Amino acid sequence: MKSRYEAAKNVFIDSVDIDDYIELESSVIAYQQLQHSMDKPLKMILLFGRPGTGKSILLNRIAEKLKHQKEIHYFDTPAVSEKEFFHKLFKVLTKKDLPKNTEVNFSALVDFCKNLRGKREIVILLDEAQMYGAEMMEKIRLLSDSRAVKFVVSLHKTEDEDLIAKEHFQSRIWEVIELKNATKQDQTTYIHKKLLKKNLFEIANSIKDKDMKLIHTFTKGNFRECNKLLFTLFEICEYYDKNEPSKINYEQIPQRIIEMAALKLGYIHV
Amino acid sequence: MYDIKPLEEEWKRYNKKKKRPLYLGSAAILFLVILSFAALKYNTADIFKSSEGKNADTVNNTANSQSSSTLRDKALTKLEVKKPKEDIFTETKPVTVVSDNSNPMESAEDTAVLNDEAEIKKPTVKRARTKAVQKRRKKMHLNIIKTTSVSAYKDVEKRFYESHDTDDSLFLARSYYNKGKYKKAEHWAWETNKVNGHIEESWLIFARSKVKLGRKNEAIRVLMSYSKRSGSKKAKNLLLKIKNGAL
Repeated sequence: MKSRYEAAKNVFIDSVDIDDYIELESSVIAYQQLQHSMDKPLKMILLFGRPGTGKSILLNRIAEKLKHQKEIHYFDTPAVSEKEFFHKLFKVLTKKDLPKNTEVNFSALVDFCKNLRGKREIVILLDEAQMYGAEMMEKIRLLSDSRAVKFVVSLHKTEDEDLIAKEHFQSRIWEVIELKNATKQDQTTYIHKKLLKKNLFEIANSIKDKDMKLIHTFTKGNFRECNKLLFTLFEICEYYDKNEPSKINYEQIPQRIIEMAALKLGYIHV
Repeated sequence: MYDIKPLEEEWKRYNKKKKRPLYLGSAAILFLVILSFAALKYNTADIFKSSEGKNADTVNNTANSQSSSTLRDKALTKLEVKKPKEDIFTETKPVTVVSDNSNPMESAEDTAVLNDEAEIKKPTVKRARTKAVQKRRKKMHLNIIKTTSVSAYKDVEKRFYESHDTDDSLFLARSYYNKGKYKKAEHWAWETNKVNGHIEESWLIFARSKVKLGRKNEAIRVLMSYSKRSGSKKAKNLLLKIKNGAL
């Protein structure tokens, strides 16, 4: 028999699927800010925040939303090498595949971009940009100087990554957008909306405000952590629902199970 | 799905650990509360102790005062008890009372002359001494100074003129009559009758004195008038005696 918690569990599988995007007050602000920045004659935009604050899904959403209005390309996974990155970039810029056994000449690429100025306005969304090395970032900067290609660089906010940001972008970045962990209210809305999107009203209702507070305490408002916790939580609920129904309260998610999930994920320790 | 049991066990341990500060806090609060109560109780006990001490003193004092008042009462009772024995003690404000035992068989009222030296002593503070005091009180005796001192009679007369107490005037009438001083007896009996005309004894002494002074008819007239007014049997008997010349 299929448990009611199975569907709930699957809701919180972490993904950057545009269908999973939840409009929150904070995310709407970030989206509008990013869109507004992209309309400006900026060379580079830095989007940064701690992992799980919604950078990727924001980039994904803006790419999806603006793909018919702008020439926008989303590089979701960083290229493992410089060669691969320029191959991808070559294809975006020229709309052609690079012939086999050939390499991109960076100088020629910069010249090509310069020739595009005024003709095309290309936006490249670079997710996980902390994976790119310093040399690579320098080349990206040179390309952005052509003013034909605009880069939105998404970075994890760590001490090291801050250093990268300082070294490579501080003087060139015209706009900085920082994403922060969700407030309790935003996180509550996020969880409810996620469940309601899949018509799991009863389960959404069984997570009371007190539970939300506890979840927020454990996850610190981080969306990725929240997804992980709720996935584990509903996984435990699913187990009890199938094997020991007496241990579960369908009206209200027991605090015990939330704590068990937190223990499982290492948010708390014995 | 992973095995849930280890996770449950882990949660139990976590829950215990989580609640430990709560238990410790509760225990600490409980301890503080008990300590506060103990301290409060100690202070209260201390206060009570001191106040009990005070109370004890008060009780002692009260007891003493009670015992002293009891003593006083007992003494008075004693006095009253003694009354029928031989003398009647009349407590008088001045300690001096005149006694006339010229006729000891007469009613005690006519006789006692007392000087109550057993004026009640002030109660002592210590309860322990109370019994001793009581014993002493019990042993206390009245020094009856029997005197025929003229000054004593003068004092009583003086007091009568100040207070118009018929007890004093009647005492004087009785005493003088017993002494054979019939003129004075008649005078003090008359003084008594002027203050209170319903005292039988006073009228009888008045009539007897008149008879003794040789004014038998006056005595008969007085007695007839009194017996008619009061219906006194003693007056009638005395009247018969006088008429028969038996007095």
